[in-house]
Amino acid sequence: MKKIIFAIISGLAVMVLSPSCKKEIGNLNNPTIEDFLENATKPELNNLVTGIESGMRNNLAMYLDVVGLIGREMYRFTAADPRYLSDLLGAKTATLDNNTFYLTNPWASRYRVVKNCNILIEAATNSGLLTDDEKKGYTGFAKTIKAYQLLLNLNLTHSNGIRVEVADPDNLGPVLAYKPSLAAIKSLLDEGQTELGGASVAFSLTSGFTGFNDNASLVAFNRAIYARVAAYDEDWAGVLTSLDNSFMDMDADLGLGIYHVFSTASGDILNPAFVRQNEAGEVRVAHPSYATDLQPGDDRIGKATLRNSPVSSSDLTSNRDVWVYTSATAPVPLIRNEELILLYAEAKIRQGAAGFNDAVEAINTIRNAHNLTPYSGPLTSTALIDEVLYNRRYSLFFEGHRWVDMRRYNRLAQLPKDRAEDDVWEMFPLPLTE
Amino acid sequence: MRKMPGYILPMLLAVLCPILLFAQVMVTGSVNDTKNSPVPGASVKLRNTLLGTVTDATGRFALNIPAATGELEISSIGYKTQVVNLATANLSALSIQLSEDIGRLDEVVVTGLATNVKRRNLANAIATVSSKDLAGTAPAQTLDAALNGKIPGAYINSNSGAPGGGISVRLRGVTSIFGNTQPLYVVDGVFIDNSSVPGGLNVVTAAGAAGNTSNQDNPSSRIADLRPEDIESIEILKGASAAAIYGSKAAAGVVIIATKRGKQGKTRFNFSQDLGFVKARKLLGAREFTEERVANSPQGWDLDEYKAAVAAGRIYDYEKEIYGETGLTRNSAFSMTGGSDRTSFYFAAAQKNEEGIIQRTGYRNNSIRLNLDHRITDNIKIGFSSNYINSSADRGLTQNDNAGVTFGVALSSTPGFTDLHPDANGNYPRNPYGASNPIETRDLMTNNEKVNRFVTGINLDAILLKTDKTTTRLIARGGVDYYNLKTNALFPSSLQFQQVAKGTSIQGFANNLNTNYILSLVNNYNLSDNLAFTTSMGLTQEKRDFDNLLNVATQVISGQSNVDQAGSLSASQFRNKNKDDGLFLQEEVTLYDAITVNAGMRIDKSTNNGDPDKYYAYPKASLSWNITRLGMPENTFVDNLKLRVAYGEAGNFPAFGSKFSSLLVSNIEGLPGSLVSTQRGNSLIEPERQTELEGGFDFTILNNRLSLEFSMYRKVVKDFLLQRSISTSSGFSTEWVNAGDLRNKGIEIGLNALVLSQSTIRWNSTVNFWKNRSKVTRLDIPPTVLGAFGNSLGTFKIEEGASATQIVGIDQGGVKKLGDQEPDFQMNFWNELVFFKNLSLRFLLHWKEGGDNINLTELLTDLGGTSPDYDADDNKNGKPDAEDRIDALGSTATIFVQDASYLRLREIALYYNFKVPGNLIKGLRIGVSANNFWTSTKYKSYDPEVSNFGSGFSTGVEVMPFPASKRASLHLSIDF
Repeated sequence: MKKIIFAIISGLAVMVLSPSCKKEIGNLNNPTIEDFLENATKPELNNLVTGIESGMRNNLAMYLDVVGLIGREMYRFTAADPRYLSDLLGAKTATLDNNTFYLTNPWASRYRVVKNCNILIEAATNSGLLTDDEKKGYTGFAKTIKAYQLLLNLNLTHSNGIRVEVADPDNLGPVLAYKPSLAAIKSLLDEGQTELGGASVAFSLTSGFTGFNDNASLVAFNRAIYARVAAYDEDWAGVLTSLDNSFMDMDADLGLGIYHVFSTASGDILNPAFVRQNEAGEVRVAHPSYATDLQPGDDRIGKATLRNSPVSSSDLTSNRDVWVYTSATAPVPLIRNEELILLYAEAKIRQGAAGFNDAVEAINTIRNAHNLTPYSGPLTSTALIDEVLYNRRYSLFFEGHRWVDMRRYNRLAQLPKDRAEDDVWEMFPLPLTE
Repeated sequence: MRKMPGYILPMLLAVLCPILLFAQVMVTGSVNDTKNSPVPGASVKLRNTLLGTVTDATGRFALNIPAATGELEISSIGYKTQVVNLATANLSALSIQLSEDIGRLDEVVVTGLATNVKRRNLANAIATVSSKDLAGTAPAQTLDAALNGKIPGAYINSNSGAPGGGISVRLRGVTSIFGNTQPLYVVDGVFIDNSSVPGGLNVVTAAGAAGNTSNQDNPSSRIADLRPEDIESIEILKGASAAAIYGSKAAAGVVIIATKRGKQGKTRFNFSQDLGFVKARKLLGAREFTEERVANSPQGWDLDEYKAAVAAGRIYDYEKEIYGETGLTRNSAFSMTGGSDRTSFYFAAAQKNEEGIIQRTGYRNNSIRLNLDHRITDNIKIGFSSNYINSSADRGLTQNDNAGVTFGVALSSTPGFTDLHPDANGNYPRNPYGASNPIETRDLMTNNEKVNRFVTGINLDAILLKTDKTTTRLIARGGVDYYNLKTNALFPSSLQFQQVAKGTSIQGFANNLNTNYILSLVNNYNLSDNLAFTTSMGLTQEKRDFDNLLNVATQVISGQSNVDQAGSLSASQFRNKNKDDGLFLQEEVTLYDAITVNAGMRIDKSTNNGDPDKYYAYPKASLSWNITRLGMPENTFVDNLKLRVAYGEAGNFPAFGSKFSSLLVSNIEGLPGSLVSTQRGNSLIEPERQTELEGGFDFTILNNRLSLEFSMYRKVVKDFLLQRSISTSSGFSTEWVNAGDLRNKGIEIGLNALVLSQSTIRWNSTVNFWKNRSKVTRLDIPPTVLGAFGNSLGTFKIEEGASATQIVGIDQGGVKKLGDQEPDFQMNFWNELVFFKNLSLRFLLHWKEGGDNINLTELLTDLGGTSPDYDADDNKNGKPDAEDRIDALGSTATIFVQDASYLRLREIALYYNFKVPGNLIKGLRIGVSANNFWTSTKYKSYDPEVSNFGSGFSTGVEVMPFPASKRASLHLSIDF
């Protein structure tokens, strides 16, 4: 009998005594923000830098699709979601929704990177393990990228605005109108420029930043972005000054610039904007006007290759594939020399007749590179701007510009509507959650 | 470390005293019903002891007891319990007659963690499902499916027709929005895991890329692993008033499962074999093409291809080719049971093998169970349950995707005049009208889930102290549920949609370990014949440790599946761990065996709460008054009348990790990156709390031939957990909050009748009616849209003052309510007719009235130009209806919100029991059964039961599901 009692007691004791005394289990799967904000080490800060670079690619393809569709550059055909061709093209009575993936996904992804930039700024500032110059490297980089990400969202919502002060989730800053948003982005870029100027870069960047990974060249990158923002702000002097300090080079490769890169390395992603030629079902095809509006001989026809057979969906048809990103690891530019040269031409034109010759010279750099004869049109502001927009359309095809450019020049009405009741939207509403 | 309560030790020591094993007396007898037919399997117990046995096939029993005193209790489900005083009985030839009990008043129902009461005194409407209800009519493929239509108060919905289960069970309305909505399952005292582990198919389908981030992988739920045939009974505690003693795990209800146990006596064997088939319940059909339709198609179809196909007579019905297979099913089981007066066992080994309605899909389940009971002394009994399960499900590739790769999405844009069949060399043509060739996908891809699972439980019941008036028992239960789940999704590089990834192999490994124990002391104190107290107290602990590793390999070397045979490999790991501790105390007072008052309290803490050391208290109280036993004069009309009321509270823990703001890994070019998660942590997160008040009455009349159970409940979920959307400009998209309150109100009516009881025919009938209404009564945050694909396609919306399951969408320039997922009411109708004692017919009808689905399957086939009714013109506007529907896209979502009412013959079966001469075969039963063979519904798609998002809050959203199936089987069962 004693044996049984002993067995029972010891059995129960094993059950009750087995729990450990540890009360809090903690986060088993990943670090928390708080881990970074206390005296972060360089490797930790570098992880944040890489997270920023990586995170910029989230929903990038969707952004390109959305801007490309509304700007009538291309069509995105998919059997799985009808709203690319209904809402975005304004089919019949369809309108843009303020709580649907085509807006909310890219918008949230950009602000997620902004958040990472803000964490990096705070973590670097709090860290006692860095020199002041190293801190400036992190904060200058973070501010530059933050400004760029904010600009992409402003491109979507335009005069519906964006929030710029978003570091404290409990106390978000106001939604700024278009012009104040641009001003805030510019001042962020200026802060970034100052900090990067005296910085010591203690972090590694990917091959997308080849040639732009020390403080001087990161300043040049910062100024290139600034030039784009200044152009949107119609601050033409600002465009030219910043281009001077950027990497614009009439003699260099037009592709010189900074890129989002993709690889098959562990945890990395492939270029989601890449589709093989002649696919069916899930395709990106060029808008039919791409080929018809192109000047004879323009080699940029290579960005929209002829398909074996046309493809249709919802009464839309195209016989050309978008062929800008030609492999699953093809990079997507943030900004590159070709755009800077065209920004230079645009600013020169907008500053008046005195700059027309400089502008033509820049335009011809682009035209020559694309197998076209030098510009021979009239030397008027209107004609030259037409020419700049033509070149921006084809040089920056499916890089997210056409819609923004046509809007800047109030030319959205010129974009073709393929179906009788389609609409060309001017801007997205502010997302519902804002 | 907590201290062992000081009273346990002395009480254990007290065991020493009363155990005296001296004289033995043998009691023998027989048990018959009122028609003098033997009652096999009836329980014969000496009251207030652990001594007992069961009757054999001829109704006879023999039991050794210490002395010829005390009371013998004879009970069997469906019969009234009889008590025999041994002092005055003939011990060598007891003859006991049991009368029928249609209201099941003498059924014993588990109400506490260690206590139970008879249904006669029960204060709650607790549904029980017996083994006959579960698997005795028309066996379903899995346990969860076998429950469907059988539980009043439950909304049970099949997520899809994919083999291997996947069912959402909602008890008395929606009890949580983002928290756990699925009940807790307890099998023989072991808290078992019922999570759904996704296999990572999103990598290929990109279903999470646009529209919704929910898991759309169509995983099965793990409760499907249990074999229904092993189950003796199931009790369903539907809300907090019944389940409060389970504390913070009980808000969604508790399903208590008891498996079959051994029976004392000669070893008995049973072999049973089912053979059958499964077919799609409904196919939508193909659109008829004409030259004009092809030429004018917005999809830009190739007219020449069509003409050539017509000339060659090659118009295919791809839907039928994919979904139209007839799957063979077989289910073999062997069981053995027996035992001596001290030790008894139940052993079962079984295999189920079923093909699906799509080629290369199917389900296999192998199970071994051994349940062992041993009486160490007259006062100490120990029971072991162990179950090993090995199951494998091939589930195909269905449901939503954004890459055009699932069968359904590919079919939706593929007209029947294009040829997708492989040539003589096995090369599949590219589908010119879709991103994938569904025939090729079906033939070459793999999506398999394999489970190895062990469930082991121990149950100790020791009488510590026994006198005339009081008995104190120690009841300890606990166990381990461990499983290893392997998911294997393989997409070879030759597939049309694998030209970029060049072959994808997704290998997932999940390990889950649940352990729990309940230690309790139970004291029965009979102050007099008319006043009895039952006190129980104890402590509980539950732990879970989940670890899921998902490897995604692309650029896979041809013909290989191992993840190292690949050009690129990404891995992700997710772990989840929690430890919950509880203490409980419960007191039950019974007056004149007629009035039962019960009060209890459970306090719980969990590592998942914002504060892991804070205890939350969950009280309960109930009262039942059996008027026929006290207060009502003796009469011949009313056999039993009971009034009851019960109140209880229960909780639901926040999800693991909801208190953390984390950074997720986000690599680029081999550099390790940390990117902030889209979920903002909330360090103040608390469990949601449910309070439920239930009341009702039960009566039995006409000499126990008719019984009625009526219940009403009001269930309030306070501080419900919501993953709310926050301004994404903060960098986060969601945050867990305790957002508001919601309320469920409903009624349940059950009617049991013994319609006919003659020697030639016996007809038992049950009708249940239940309805539930929910309302969000408080919402601290702005109305939140969730659970589907946004306003333009119809979505759920949590809004103060509105039903929690309302469906809203755009219409007439605004967003308004378009429907509700909640059914208006549900009814079931169960009948058993027995002719000449041996031929029985059983059937179950299930009627769900109202409740809307969001049907996006039709939208996709409309857009793809393949809807069977594409060219119909019901509104006579001269335009095909499908084009009208497409035109409505973006301006109204009304067309997607469709009524999903149905009336369904869930089960029907005919069985015959043969009398086999000789001694070898003791029983032979042959039967034929059918499931879901007949359904009446206006719902346009495959089946009104569907859920693209699995078992969470948003059931009823349909995007190209695995079509539902119907089944029929032949049954043979031999006892020897």
